[in-house]
Amino acid sequence: MLKKLAFITFTVLLVLSLNGVAMAIEAGNQRKGKYTYRKVYKACHQRGEVDSPKPHLSPDAKTQSQWTAVFEDKDFEQFGCQPEWQQLSEADLADIYAYLHDHAADSPSPAKCK
Amino acid sequence: MKWIIIQPVRVTLLALALMLMGVTPIWAASAVKGELAPGRAMAQQATKARNLWITADHTKFEALQGPFDEGNQISKACLSCHSEAGAQFRKTIHWSWIGTGPEDPKRLGKGGDSLNNFCISTNNMQDKKCTTCHPGWDGKKAEVNCLACHGQKEINWSESFADYRAFTGSADPEERELATDIQADIRSAAQSVGRPTRKNCGACHFYGGGGNGVKHGDLDSSITLPSKALDVHMGTDGQNFQCTRCHTTVLHNVAGRIYSKPAVTERKSLIEDDLTPKITCESCHSSTPHKSGSKANDHTDRVACQSCHIPQMARELPTKMWWDWSKAGKLKDGKKYNVKGDLDRDVYMSIKGDMKWAKNVQPEYFWFNGSMNTLTVRDTIEPSRVVSVSQPMGSREDHRSRIFPFKVHRGKQPYDTIRKTMLAPMLSGPDGYWETLDWQRALSVGQKALNLPFSGQFDFVETRYAFPTTHMVAPKENVVACTECHTGNGSRLASLTGFYMPGRDGAGIIDSLGWLMVLGSLAGVCLHGLGRFFTNGNGRAK
Repeated sequence: MLKKLAFITFTVLLVLSLNGVAMAIEAGNQRKGKYTYRKVYKACHQRGEVDSPKPHLSPDAKTQSQWTAVFEDKDFEQFGCQPEWQQLSEADLADIYAYLHDHAADSPSPAKCK
Repeated sequence: MKWIIIQPVRVTLLALALMLMGVTPIWAASAVKGELAPGRAMAQQATKARNLWITADHTKFEALQGPFDEGNQISKACLSCHSEAGAQFRKTIHWSWIGTGPEDPKRLGKGGDSLNNFCISTNNMQDKKCTTCHPGWDGKKAEVNCLACHGQKEINWSESFADYRAFTGSADPEERELATDIQADIRSAAQSVGRPTRKNCGACHFYGGGGNGVKHGDLDSSITLPSKALDVHMGTDGQNFQCTRCHTTVLHNVAGRIYSKPAVTERKSLIEDDLTPKITCESCHSSTPHKSGSKANDHTDRVACQSCHIPQMARELPTKMWWDWSKAGKLKDGKKYNVKGDLDRDVYMSIKGDMKWAKNVQPEYFWFNGSMNTLTVRDTIEPSRVVSVSQPMGSREDHRSRIFPFKVHRGKQPYDTIRKTMLAPMLSGPDGYWETLDWQRALSVGQKALNLPFSGQFDFVETRYAFPTTHMVAPKENVVACTECHTGNGSRLASLTGFYMPGRDGAGIIDSLGWLMVLGSLAGVCLHGLGRFFTNGNGRAK
C-alpha cells in the first residue's frame, strides 16, 4: 500500500513538474523573445565568434515539439555563441522559446530570421 | 630584271584573286583592330562617369525626426516638402497597375483584367498576397510608400511598426527600451533616402510570380550585384548602372512598361534627340553601332540588338519554365507537401502543382513591333489549342517589327468549359486555393472579385506567356555567333518562316548549280592566270 502511495505521489509530482517546465517556458513573450534572440547574435557577432549578426537557426528550422525538447533539455550548444547564451535569464529563455515555438516549421506562421 | 618588274603586278593579281575567293587578307583584319566601334564610343560618351549629388541632408529635417508608428506618417513627412510627388505617382502604372487609358477597349494590367500563367490574377487587387508588392502602405487605400523605391536601408516596416506599438508605453522597462531601439531603426530608415537602386526595383521585379526568377528569365536576385559577365551594363566590375540609367523617368513615370502600348514609339539615339528616353539600345549605341563595314550593322533594321547580345538568360539562377496547376492538390499523409528538384527549387507543391525550372535558357524568337497582345479574363478562348496569354505583336511585313528574343513560360491553368473564358482563382486568404485546395470555392470567390460569372464547370488548358528578354546583356566575346542562326541544322531562328535566310534556307539543286558556277569561275580564273604566268606575258603584242 505504502509502495503504491509512493508511486502515485512520485508520478503526480513528475507530471506536475514537467507540466510546470512546459508552462514556464510557454509563458514567455514571443515578441520580446525575437529581439532578445537577435541581441544574442548581434553581441556574438561584435565579439567576433560569428560572421553574421543574423541567427543561424531560424524558428522554421525545427518543429514545435523539437523546440520544446531543446528547451526542456536546455540543449543550447547547437545555438553557438555560448558566452551570450549563458548570460540569459530564465525569463529571457522563456521569451526566446516562445518566439521559436510560435513560428516553428509546423506553426501557423513559420518564420525565418532576417 | 623583267621578272622583278612584273612580280608586284602578279602578286597584286594573286591577292585580288584571293579576295575574290572570299579569303580576307590578314592585313585587312589588323587594320580595324583597336578601332572602337562607333556604337560603343557613343555609349561611352553618353554615360561618362558622373558625380551625383544631393543638396539636402534628410537626417536634419524636422519632419523626419518622428516618432513614427505607421507608414502614412512617414509619407506625410516626405510630401510636406515634395508636395507634388504623391499626386504624380498615383497617376503611374506602378500605383494603378493599369496599363491602358479609359479610351482603350480592354482594361489591361495586373490591377485590371489581364492574367498570366503564374499566379494568374490579382483578382481586382483583392488577393492580398499579390498586393504585398504594391508601393502603398496598405494597397491603394493608404499613402504612397515613397521608401519602397527611395529607401536605402533594409527594414521590415510592418513588423517594426507592430512591435513598436506593442512595446511603447509598456510597464516593462525592457520593453520600453526595445521600443526606443525600434523607433531609432524606423527613424534611420525614414531618413535614408536616395535614387532607386537595383535593390529597390528588384525587391518586386526580381521576385515576380511569387519567387526569385520565377517570371522573368533575365531578372532575378543575381542582378542585385551582378558581374560584368552577367550584364555588361549593370556589372559592378564594369559600368555598374542602376536600373534608372536606362529606365529614365518623367513625372515618376518609369520608361519601359509594355502592354498594347509599346515602351517607345520611335527608336532614336541621343544625337537625334537629346531628350529621348534611354530605354532602347539605340538611345546610346545608335542604329549602326558596329565598326564600319561590319555585316552586323546590316542586321539592325530587322534584328533587335538583344537577339545577338543575350545568348542565354537565367545564367546564374534558374527560371521557371512550366507551371501545371492541374496537378495541384495532392496530399501526403493528409498534409500539403513540397518536392525540391535538382536546381534547389520546388518542382511540386500541393498548393501550386507541377513546376519545371531551367538555367542558361536559350530564348525563343518572334517578330516584335514593341506591343504585346494580352489576353484578359473577359476574352473567349479556343481550348483545343494552346492559349497565348501574352504574345508579341508584329510580322516580317511590318517594317517596325524586328526579330526579338523572348522567354516563353508554359503551363496549364483553369478555364470555364461552358463560357470558354480563362478563370481567375483566389489563391490567398481563408477562401483561397492555397488554404482550402478547393478549386470550386477558389474559382467562385476569384471570379466574384472580378465581377465575372462562373458556370461552375471548369477544366485546365495549356497556355503560354512570352516575356521580352532585354537584360543580362553578355560581353561581346559571348554574343550569338553568325552560324547559330545562319545554319540549316538547328538554327536559333528555325521557327521564323516565310523569308529567305542565307545559310539556313536553300534548295539542293539551286545550291549545287550555284557552287558549280563558283567553282567553274574559280577554275577559269586560275587557269587563265596560270596561263599568263607561264607564258610570261599579258597577251598583248610586244
